[in-house]
Amino acid sequence: MIAQNIAFGILAASSVLAAIRMVTTKNVVHAALYLVVVLGSVAANYILLAAEFVAVVQLLVYIGAIVVLFLFGVMLTRAKLGHEGELDNDQRGLAAVTALLILGILGYVLVDYFGDDKLPQLNRTHEQLNATRGTGAVGNAIFSTYLIPFEVVSVLLLAALVGAIVLARRD
Amino acid sequence: MTAALLFAQVEKVATPKLDWAATAPLLILCGAALLLLLISSLTTSRPARGTYAVITVLASAFAIGTAGVLWARVTDAERGAFTTAAGALTVDGFSVFFIVVISLGIALSALLADDYLRRENLDGPELYVLMLLSGAGGIVMAMANDLIVVFLGLETLSIALYVMAGFNRRRAESRESAMKYFVLGAFSSAFLLYGIAFIYGATGSTNLGDIAGFLNANTLEHTGLLLGGFALLLVGFGFKASAVPFHVWTPDVYQGAPTPVTAFMASASKAAAFAALLRVFVSTFAEYRLDWQPLIWGIAVLTLVVGSVLAIVQTDVKRMMAYSSISHAGFILVGVQAATAQGVSAALFYVLSYTFMIVGTFGVATLVSGKGDEHHGLEAYRGLSRRRPGLALTFTVFLLAQAGVPLTSGFLAKFYVIGAAVDAHSYALALIAMLSSVVSAFLYLRIVVAMYMTDEEGAEPGPRVRVPLGAGVALGLAVAFTVVVGILPQQVVHWADRAIPVVLASGR
Amino acid sequence: MNVPEWWYLVLSAVLFSLGALGLLIRRNPLVMFMCVELMLNAVNLTFVTFSRSLNDIGGQVVVFFVLVVAAAEVTVGLGIIVSILRRKPGTTADDLSLLKG
Repeated sequence: MIAQNIAFGILAASSVLAAIRMVTTKNVVHAALYLVVVLGSVAANYILLAAEFVAVVQLLVYIGAIVVLFLFGVMLTRAKLGHEGELDNDQRGLAAVTALLILGILGYVLVDYFGDDKLPQLNRTHEQLNATRGTGAVGNAIFSTYLIPFEVVSVLLLAALVGAIVLARRD
Repeated sequence: MTAALLFAQVEKVATPKLDWAATAPLLILCGAALLLLLISSLTTSRPARGTYAVITVLASAFAIGTAGVLWARVTDAERGAFTTAAGALTVDGFSVFFIVVISLGIALSALLADDYLRRENLDGPELYVLMLLSGAGGIVMAMANDLIVVFLGLETLSIALYVMAGFNRRRAESRESAMKYFVLGAFSSAFLLYGIAFIYGATGSTNLGDIAGFLNANTLEHTGLLLGGFALLLVGFGFKASAVPFHVWTPDVYQGAPTPVTAFMASASKAAAFAALLRVFVSTFAEYRLDWQPLIWGIAVLTLVVGSVLAIVQTDVKRMMAYSSISHAGFILVGVQAATAQGVSAALFYVLSYTFMIVGTFGVATLVSGKGDEHHGLEAYRGLSRRRPGLALTFTVFLLAQAGVPLTSGFLAKFYVIGAAVDAHSYALALIAMLSSVVSAFLYLRIVVAMYMTDEEGAEPGPRVRVPLGAGVALGLAVAFTVVVGILPQQVVHWADRAIPVVLASGR
Repeated sequence: MNVPEWWYLVLSAVLFSLGALGLLIRRNPLVMFMCVELMLNAVNLTFVTFSRSLNDIGGQVVVFFVLVVAAAEVTVGLGIIVSILRRKPGTTADDLSLLKG
């Protein structure tokens, strides 16, 4: 499956490059558009990982809703559309060190983990395995094992709704 | 025909059994939030003064009542703790204890908010709605038997709190504190979530019961992923509990947020963070105690030292109390670090007494600050004993309790956590805790001195202080608890002893 | 031979660190906030990868909940940002300095 490896390489490169551009660009709208590229590549990665439904939802919700919200935010706050001088704050060096530290720790943990493949092997029969794949399985899981999280999410959305109204109201 | 075919193929999802009694406290709080929204949108005239606050307090009281029923059920030897909804929620003494603590936090903060909102001309049901939903999120965290449920509870708690911090829209400080809290909160919850992903990868499940079962049954050869997960989870919980070094938001947000909201943040939100920390680390990861105890040890030492030392150099009373709340978090962490039943029970006792102390403290600050929520400097407290002797005495009780003076609940709380640390052979930590409590005693005495021993000759008298009914009730309750439990702690200790978290297999 | 799983995990660690870096160095609140979204997305990728290698659907389901949380955070966060910037256009995170002790 060389094709998959190549696809992964392209996707990984594009998402990392776009993420770097997003972090460094001096233009807010460009940052939002680079975010779209990252999110799109991650969605494509989901397809490679055989999680098609997640990929579709990622496209719909993240790119369709969240990025649009960001663009609205740019509009409403009248952020300067062109180049903004000095977008970075003064602690570049410190921040870079911190980020490298985080990456180092995460990288070490992941490499240590793959010293041998110590993934917990859940003993499953063929039938049970089939029940863990596909969109149907996602639906079943949401309404059985994950029923309480599903309900909590509704409370969370209610809180966000009330909160947004409180914040948006004019005095 | 196609329709018939479609229906024939529909497989019914096997929805899990839900124990309605177990979820009743949550349903009551969320129901009350919806009721408040309905009342405010259906009534055309403004409802009578205090209607919203009374509904909020009643809802919390009902939640506590149902918690009492649950308590009888889980402490019954024959029935005991159980999980519900496919192992997503645990009902044990621990969850019931935190239902009570968080509901108390909601009720007391709502009583403080009632007059505050009228004073600041912000009347309306929204703050109460957010408080109830936020509290429900906190209770979800305390009951959660699944890391994802913990995360969602934490997010519900936080999202409502971000808005509450910025609730006083006219004050620039309030808006700014919302912004800071929001950015740092979102940052820390990303870390928490990454930690959950690591634990999931290392153990194959997010369910606490399954994780504990897996860790008991298997010995991991490579624990890197698991330990990385511990560290990332600690970032997330440490942020909410305002433990050093994840505390940077605390002084700013406590200072900028409306004072009744600060009271809620310091009581209910902190309690929820410790609930999750205790259940996830002390009971679920008990097997790996030796790996995470040093981490908590370090955080506890930093929190104790930074909290008590930096509190002294502040001039704003709200900021002082923010740092003192950081040092209290350090004391609770001392109990967590012991990782014994005694340590947990001491931490629970501390959380409950601290809830009353801190709500009382910020309650007095709400009243003294006056219209505009402005007078928080130490000078506003000068000569308070002459203007308002009762209020000054009340505040003195809370400050002495925070300092850990005998005959208050604060003394016993500190005594129990330090005792637990000594019994767990953490002598150095116990010593540091004692020293830091001596250092911070200076801070509390400074405020007491300002209230009592300033001669007002020539000094400008501070603003007039009113004590409205709601706040008066809240302060009275808090003082009563602090003193009565300080003298007769047996019953509360007995409850705390029976509220040790248990981890049950999900049974699915 | 499929793409080795650890490639995905390393990719997500890199994206997560870039998000953290961005949040620390940028001053525009909107961009800081995009960086949080990037971090959450990196975590989602980790979850889906583990879900695949563990043969467990849980990791995929979690992604939906994270999506909802991210959307709710964006709504509230933009509300806060707009309420600040509406009064003072061009505010950056460094200008938030009323609260200092």
